Amino acid sequence: MLLAAAVALLAIIVMSGWLADSTQQYSRSVSRISALRVAAGTLLSQLQDAEIGQRGYLLTEDRQYLKPYETAVAAVDATIARLRDLADEDDGELRIVDRLVGLAAAKREELAETIALMEAGRHDDSLAIVRTGRGMRLMDDARQALADLITPADAQLDTQLRALTGQARISGWVANLGGLFILLVVGGAVWIAVRYTRDLMQAQRAIQALNDSLEQRVSERTMELQRANAEIQRFAYIVSHDLRAPLVNVMGFTSEFEVGLASVAAHLDRQPAGADDAKAAEARRAVSEDMPEAIGFIRTSTTKMDRLINAILALSRQGSRTLNPEPVSMQTLVENAVASFRHRAGELRCAIDIAGPLPSLVSDRLALEQVFGNLLDNAIKYLDPARPGRIAIRGRAEPDRLVFEIADNGRGIAAQDHERIFELFRRSGVQDRPGEGIGLAYVRTLVRRLQGEVTVDSVPGQGSVFRISLPETLALPSEKPAHDA
Amino acid sequence: MMRDAQTVSIVMIEDDEGHARLIEKNIRRAGVTNEIVPFTDGTSALAYLFGPDGTGQASTGRALLILLDLNLPDMTGVDILSKLKANPYTRRFPVVVLTTTDDRQEIQRCYDIGASVYITKPVNYESFATAIRQLGLFFSVIQIPEAEA
Repeated sequence: MLLAAAVALLAIIVMSGWLADSTQQYSRSVSRISALRVAAGTLLSQLQDAEIGQRGYLLTEDRQYLKPYETAVAAVDATIARLRDLADEDDGELRIVDRLVGLAAAKREELAETIALMEAGRHDDSLAIVRTGRGMRLMDDARQALADLITPADAQLDTQLRALTGQARISGWVANLGGLFILLVVGGAVWIAVRYTRDLMQAQRAIQALNDSLEQRVSERTMELQRANAEIQRFAYIVSHDLRAPLVNVMGFTSEFEVGLASVAAHLDRQPAGADDAKAAEARRAVSEDMPEAIGFIRTSTTKMDRLINAILALSRQGSRTLNPEPVSMQTLVENAVASFRHRAGELRCAIDIAGPLPSLVSDRLALEQVFGNLLDNAIKYLDPARPGRIAIRGRAEPDRLVFEIADNGRGIAAQDHERIFELFRRSGVQDRPGEGIGLAYVRTLVRRLQGEVTVDSVPGQGSVFRISLPETLALPSEKPAHDA
Repeated sequence: MMRDAQTVSIVMIEDDEGHARLIEKNIRRAGVTNEIVPFTDGTSALAYLFGPDGTGQASTGRALLILLDLNLPDMTGVDILSKLKANPYTRRFPVVVLTTTDDRQEIQRCYDIGASVYITKPVNYESFATAIRQLGLFFSVIQIPEAEA
């Protein structure tokens, strides 16, 4: 459409240019012919003036009457030169002009001769020349020649003018056509613009609708996630409670068993030691060694299981504890946390530096205390005994988050464990320190509840950096606690 | 009228038979010789306490001390506690809640409804045994009112 419009406009421009050009040519030609006609007229009138002057003189012998003659004769040459300039070689005009030159010369000669005879006093001779009629014939010939020049010129002028008029009409048509076409193109452009705008608005409405439904889907999904999360917490809570009940039995009856065993052992001790009685020796060994060992293992296992259940319970309670955002000075909070580890750090010759001042935030104080307490505890627990410990706590504000780092020069964590250590009951490296693999899982749960994230960078043998990013202000969604724990 | 501690019966509502046995053993170790009436679910316990007609008249003249676990298969101990405290015949019986839950709000709720004592079952058996024996000593000194006719 636009291409067609452009081509059409170009055609109109070319055509207008061509029309203008040919009009100019016509105009030039018309003006030449007009000038030629004027010059021819002038020549005729000059010749007539010359003759009038001559006649007047001859009649009156008064030189006063020679004035028109003298003026005309003086101007004839210039007029002839102008005629020659304007004449067109092709149309035989030049030939006519040459003839006119000859005639004009002959006429002038005749006129001059009569005047000269008159001046010489030969009055009759002069009139005799006039009476021959030669001068009259010359004049007629000149008139005829001028008519020969003017008549075709007039015809040509007429043709040219007609052509010019035709051209003007064509120009008008072209201009009208161009105007019409421009109207069409503009109309088309307006129509296209309107259609595009309508399409655009429709698309925008569709996007808006999609957006709305997306928001709804997101909020539905969020609600589903919250429900699922609440479900998991409730599940963890129930499981940990129900796991505890049988554990009470295992421990209780283990103790009952131990009490019973003690009385059996006491009874066996009172029996005289029958040296050769293999069965009695076996029973003694069972009572004094095997069974206490078995009871010991049961005890250790149940104690451990109790700790694990308590950990799950603590996590599930943490997940449902109501957060209480308040302004927290991180500098003070971390200083207090560090102070509680000073004693242990001193024993281990470990330096703890706070690269303060740490940025403050609005968040849940208790959760933050637990996060930093756990991370500091870990940093101290997993120091490398081969070198003096150094722990640094840093904080900085990023565009929309605060980032805190706890860096140590401890034994480090292998790369494949960087994610695993945040899982419940998972630990990394040599298992030579006490622990259940709960601390970091707890930290991650807490930090996520504070709408943050915790990650670790670590090189084994060089140290670890735990990085916590938190929002500057904890904005609580209107969430319902999963369980009133 | 008040009953002599010796004539008081202990109603034990506990679904875990192991727990029930351990509780009984430790009560006996504390020198308590009272009759223990065990139930392993809420429905049968309610049938005993409120009688077949559910009015509670069945408990007329009884002097009971109730040991109540909160996690029962057919209902929660809180329901039983509420029913006991809402019934004119049973509302004066002391109720000892003995359960694994140490949930603060749950404990508060039980006291609000009218529990006499709330004891968390410690997983550590020694603490558990000690708690039960002390509970036995407690039984031997408290006065329990007889349900009025």
